[in-house]
Parts: sequence; structure tokens; C-alpha cells
Amino acid sequence: MKPLWRRLYDWVDERVQLGGLVEFMGKKYVPIHRHSVWYYFGGVSLFLFLIQVVTGILLLLYYKAGEEYAFESIQFLMSKVQFGWLIRSIHSWTANLFILTAMIHMFSVFFEKSYRKPREITWVTGMLMFFLALGFGFSGYLLPWNELAFFATKVGTDIAGIIPVIGKPVMIFLRGGPEVTGATLTRFFGFHVAVFPGIFTVLLGIHLVLVQRQGMSEPLDEPTGSEGEQKAMPFFPNFLLRDLLLWLIVLNLLAILAVFFPWELGMKADPFASAPAGIKPEWYFLFMFQTLKYIPAKLLSIDGEVLGILLFAFAGLLWTLVPFWDRKSSRGERNRFINYIGLFVVVYIMILTIIGWST
Amino acid sequence: MNRMMLRLYCLFALGLWSAGVVIADDKCLTCHETLGDNPSTLFKHDIHRTKGITCAGCHGGNANSDEMDQAMDKNAGFIGVPKGDQISQVCARCHSNAEKMGQFRASVPAGQLERLEASVHGSLATSGKERIAQCSTCHNAHGIVSVRNPASPVYPLNVVGTCTTCHANAAYMRTYNPSLPVDQLDKYRTSVHGMRNGKGDPKVAECASCHGSHDILSVKDVKSAVYPTNIPSTCSKCHSDAKHMKEYKIPTDQFEKFSKSVHGVALLQKQDISAPACNSCHGNHGAGPPGVSSVSNVCGTCHALNAELFSSSPHKKAFDERKLPECETCHSNHEIIVATNKLLGVTPEAVCSSCHSPSQNVKGYAVAKAMRSLVDSLSTEEQQAIALVREAEQKGMEVTDAEFKLRDAHQARLQSRTTVHSFDEAKLREVVLKGLNATTFASDEAHSALDEYVFRRIGLGIATLIITILAISLYLYIRRLEGRQRLGEKNTPTFPQR
Repeated sequence: MKPLWRRLYDWVDERVQLGGLVEFMGKKYVPIHRHSVWYYFGGVSLFLFLIQVVTGILLLLYYKAGEEYAFESIQFLMSKVQFGWLIRSIHSWTANLFILTAMIHMFSVFFEKSYRKPREITWVTGMLMFFLALGFGFSGYLLPWNELAFFATKVGTDIAGIIPVIGKPVMIFLRGGPEVTGATLTRFFGFHVAVFPGIFTVLLGIHLVLVQRQGMSEPLDEPTGSEGEQKAMPFFPNFLLRDLLLWLIVLNLLAILAVFFPWELGMKADPFASAPAGIKPEWYFLFMFQTLKYIPAKLLSIDGEVLGILLFAFAGLLWTLVPFWDRKSSRGERNRFINYIGLFVVVYIMILTIIGWST
Repeated sequence: MNRMMLRLYCLFALGLWSAGVVIADDKCLTCHETLGDNPSTLFKHDIHRTKGITCAGCHGGNANSDEMDQAMDKNAGFIGVPKGDQISQVCARCHSNAEKMGQFRASVPAGQLERLEASVHGSLATSGKERIAQCSTCHNAHGIVSVRNPASPVYPLNVVGTCTTCHANAAYMRTYNPSLPVDQLDKYRTSVHGMRNGKGDPKVAECASCHGSHDILSVKDVKSAVYPTNIPSTCSKCHSDAKHMKEYKIPTDQFEKFSKSVHGVALLQKQDISAPACNSCHGNHGAGPPGVSSVSNVCGTCHALNAELFSSSPHKKAFDERKLPECETCHSNHEIIVATNKLLGVTPEAVCSSCHSPSQNVKGYAVAKAMRSLVDSLSTEEQQAIALVREAEQKGMEVTDAEFKLRDAHQARLQSRTTVHSFDEAKLREVVLKGLNATTFASDEAHSALDEYVFRRIGLGIATLIITILAISLYLYIRRLEGRQRLGEKNTPTFPQR
């Protein structure tokens, strides 16, 4: 008598022929080298995204988008709904950890030059997902309709409005009018729960299929084995189980953060009140915000802020297109220049974030 | 003795000679006297003439010439009758020049025009061509005498009449400030100040005593002596001066007491201009002590509910019969301190016990005791609820509903303090119960939040334990699995280099 799970597998296999997939999975290996640890950040990011989906759906059961209801519905969720506080705290903490792990994943891929041929599409889809993650963060931040969120959105959309030619229409589109109002809230809600998740799911699907299809990339400078072969471990079950182990640790960390540092709701937004002192964007936008502060008002007759935004947009584009201009890495040659750029960007972001945080 | 007489004679002769020179030199006056015009008649008694100033001192020209053409020669600076702002500028030629004023041995300080220009009267008149008031508006043009001279229009007994020339003229005042009252004089005459002034007492306050003279500012100007926060010190200039007040036989410690009172602290320390100043209770132009029977009306202008409740309470009749000033009997007058629960009840510091005792006015004694117990219970319950809610809040718990109820409790406590003035135990009990319900709700919410706090930590502990056990189990499983794999396959699986 076969065990139940085996009979279930056979039932499905008979209908959809799982054999090929299982054989493919069985032959899939993950390289082992001194940088292998970075492979796990992709998996952790995926795990955190899944938590966001689940907690987000739970929040949707109670959240009411609208100037009059948003704050009150979150307040109700946090004080009256069983475990409502936990769900919201986990959603907020996960959002931040997701962007952090996605950043680490992105930089590890960049330094390993894993974006090189044939993984250009994987890199570009990853970058697009990262930008969407920032969009998730920006749109989700406003949804509780509290004081800080209101003014951070005002400042954020003001900055978008500075972009020459398209800035003003973009700002009006984002806000649903010339000012941040209830219309902005419903618009951001739509982006956060429908538009972004839809696009993200498609990109994530492509990204994961490509990762499975092409396997893990190994570093260029890693010494090869004695017979031209690389040390490796089976993806299934070894790597997957290690992934699971890390996910459990992250889950534990999230539970501790949610209980000991519950996400505060603050005061309800009042459009007629003056902005609270020292208003700052979320930490992942701080380095850009701080840079804009340092740029002089006028630089060679160009508006300083416009120049700053254009520079960031250009740098983001260059970063996204790195597989297409870093020809050396694609040829399998070492490219120290890329390392220096990456190092500069990491140090720059860290320093500006710390300054922005402490001032 | 003879020597002394000789000296006095010499001085008198010198004085006569000086005056003779002045009079003899002012040819303008000589001619104008013959014309018999009013200015020359008045000028004969003018203080300026006694100081040796001729008509030409103000009008210019040559006062030494008999010839009209020469006397009124424009080349000699003759300006004729000065008009508008020119009037004050003519006066300021000397009065804004301290050195020149020194030459006349005048005790008048210099710089009046500058102060006038900065004052409310220095703003532009409706004609748009000149200031509202010139020096001559109050001091006259000819026949000016010292302010100490009872004939002066600015002598304390005359100031009121001088100011009301404009300020009691409704049609005129409307053109500047339609909302400004024009009945100040009528009110003033009903005041203690006004009545004494009317009887010829120059020491009592008149317009300039409070508003200033040249430097009068709008009451809305924080620098004005009658701006709410400045009023107590303005009044105290006289009322705290024991020497000045001696003959009136009234206390001089009002300012000292007021400064320490709840009103004084709010007004003078917190700069809260909604707090009462002296004039809020005593009136301003009609200032006087409120009568015994009208004290509650005075306090009731702000404390309306308290006054209303008191008026319909049994105490109203009892106080009236004993001629006790209403609010003042329990709360004092100038030194009103913050009313606490201690004021109520039958303890030695409670004001009720001064009339009610177990043997005297027994019913009131029992009511006072019960009322104190009610307000005390609400205060205690509210404090406990606040402490619990704060504790839950500090622990990061969501207690918004409890916060709202605390506001209700606070409101009920304030209402109970007002209801006390009805001296009706049943009414007070109703309000206190409302407050107690609110504190009970807030305390229950806070307790639930604190229980939830403990539950969360226990829950976290259990969840962390389960996840940790799972993680350790998984780790051990991976080790066992990989150990088995190593035993099963001699070599580590490899895959071709990409």
C-alpha cells in the first residue's frame, strides 16, 4: 500500500505529467563557493513578498480607503480586531525588510556580475521589481492617512512635479488633482493593491522561470575545480531546505519586531495643519532626499532640484542597463571598474542615509 | 535785615526790567493789542511770553519792528498762522530740543512731538493732509499755561473735558473708529475717580493717568498702558502707592494679591489676555468697587453657569440676608486661588465649615460632607484611570477609546465643579456618576490593553519557541541529509562549468 502523499502525487502525475519537471528539479544544482551566501537573499526577498501578499489580503478585509475612513479603519483594526495589530505590524516591518533584502540581493548580483549574458532579462526584471517595490512602499505609506504619511506624500509628489515637461502632469496624475487629498488616497490604494501587484506578479513569474531555467550564476573570479568542474549542491532538497531554514529565522525576527516595536499609527492627517518639524521620507528614499538638499538652488542656470532628479533618473537607467554596456563581464573578463562603481554607490547611499537619518 | 531787603529789591527790579524788555520788544503784541484781537489778549497770560518768547517765536518775522511790512516780512521768516502739521512743528522747534528747553529752565521734558507721532493721534486724519491731533488741539494756541495751572486745559480737573471734546462727539469719532464708544465721560462721572475729580480732587485718575498724554496708544497695542496685561501695573501706579492712597483709606495690596491669584497668574505670567484684569471686574471708565449684591453678576460675566446655579440655590437668600458678598465669601476677591476639592466639605480648611457645623446649620453640614465625598471619589477614580491608560500607552498599546473616555471624565469633573454651586447633592451625584462611568470604561479598556500586552509577550514566547524548534529540527535534518548524501556518493555532485 503506497503512502497517501505518493498516491496523490501519482494522481496528479497521471494527469499533468510531473515527471519531466521533477527530473529537471532533481538535476538542478547550486554552485558552492565563498560567495554562496548571497544566493539566499533572493529567496528571502521572495518569502517576504509572500508575507506581504498574505498580510496585505488580511488588511484588505478591514481597510477602508477614503479620507474619512482610512485612519479610523486602521485604528479599529489595531485596537478591536483580534491580531489586527500583529498583521499590520508585520506588514509594515516586512515592507521595510523586503526592500532591504531586495537591495542586498541587487547589490550582490551587481558585484558578482551575475547580470552578464545570458541573464540580462533576469537582471532587468529584477530591477523593474525593485522600482515597483519602492512604488509599493511609497503608495502604501499614505494608506493609513496619518500626519507623517500625508506630508511625506506631499513632499514626494512635489519632487515628482519638478521634473521638466512631464513633471506637472505626472504630479497631477499621482495626486488626482493639484493637492494631496482623498482622491490621492484612493488612487494610491488602487496602485498598491491592484496595479503594482499585477505587474509585479508577471515580472516575478518571468524572473523565477529564468532563474530556474538558467540556474544560478557563479562568480567570474571563482577558481574552477581540478577537472574544470565546480562544487555544487542539489537545489532540491538541499538548497530549498536551507532557504526554508533562513525563512524561519526571518519569521522569528519579524515576530519579535512586531511585538516589541509595533508600528505606530500617529495622528490623523489634517490637510490644514502645518507640516510637523523634521519631516523625512522612508529610509530608502533618504539618500536622494538628502542629496537634493545639498545641491545648490541654481547650477549653471539649471534649477538644482531638477538637475538632481535628472541625475538620479539617469543613474537609475544606467544601473538598470548595466548588462548592455558592461561588455567585459559578458565576455567573461574581470571588470574592476564595475566594482568601483558599485562600491561608490553603496558607500554613497549609506553615508547620505545616515546623515539624513541623524539630522 | 536792611541788606536782605536791599537784595530782594534788586531782584524785583531786575525782574521788572527783564519783563519790561520782553514786553517792550514785542511790537507785534503792541499793535495787536490795539486791535483788541483774541490771540493777543490770551497771549498776555501765556507761559511762553513770561519766558521771553515773542509772537515771532512761533509766527516768525521781526517782533522789534513797528512797520508791518518789516514785522511780517517773509524774508525774516514770517509764516503767518501755521496750519496742520506745521503747528506741531513750530512747537517742536523748542520742545523737541532739550538744549533749548534748558535755556528756558523748563521742567518739561523734550520730545513730545516724537511721542505724539508714534501715538494713535499721530496717525493721519481723515482729511489725509495732517495728523489727527496737533499740540494746540489739547494745549490751545495762545494763552498756554503750565499743566499745573488750574486754567490749563490739560490740568487734571480739565483733561476729561479736553479729551471729550472729540471723544464724546459721536459724529466725529465715527469717522475714525465707529466701534469706539463715546460715553466714556458719562461712565467716568459714575466712577469713584470721576466723582472725586468732579468734586475738585486733582489726585484721582483722569484720562491721561491711564492712557498717557502724548504717547497714547491703541488699547490693542501691547505697549499700551491699558493693554490687558499692562492694566494691573497701570492701576497699581496709584493703588499700590501707600502715600498717594493714604487719604482715601483703602488697602494698597490689591496688585500684590492679584499677582498671586489664579487670574493674575493667567494674565501676567501666562500672558493670557482672556483672563480678567482690574477693569474686568471694576469697570474701566466707570471704575468702582462692585456692590455686595452684584459680586455674582461681576464674576458671572465669565463664570456664567456658576453664577446662575448660585442664584437659584438656597445660598442666594442666606447670603443676601447676611449681606455677604456672594462669590467673594468663599473665593476671596483679589487673591482668588485655584479652587480645589479642599474648598468644599466640613474639614477645617473647607469654606463650608465656616457657617456649617454638626450643631449649626446641620442640613448644610451633611450636604457639604456628601458633596465633598462625591467630588473626591471622581478625582481619585480619574487619577487611577489616567495612570492605567498612561501605563498601557507607554507599553505601546492602542488605547484611543480609553483616551476619549478620559476626556469625558475630565469634562464631567469640570462640570461637577460648576454643579457644586447649586449646592444640590442630587444634581452633583448625577454629574459625578456620569464621570465615574467614563473612568470605569477607561480603566477597563486600559486593563484589557495591559492584559493584551502580557498575552502578546507570552504569545511571542510560544511562537518564537515553536519557530526555533522547527528551525533547529530543520537544521539537524539538513545535516543528517547531507551526511547521508556524502556517505551515499563518494564524490560531491558536480556540474559542468558554464
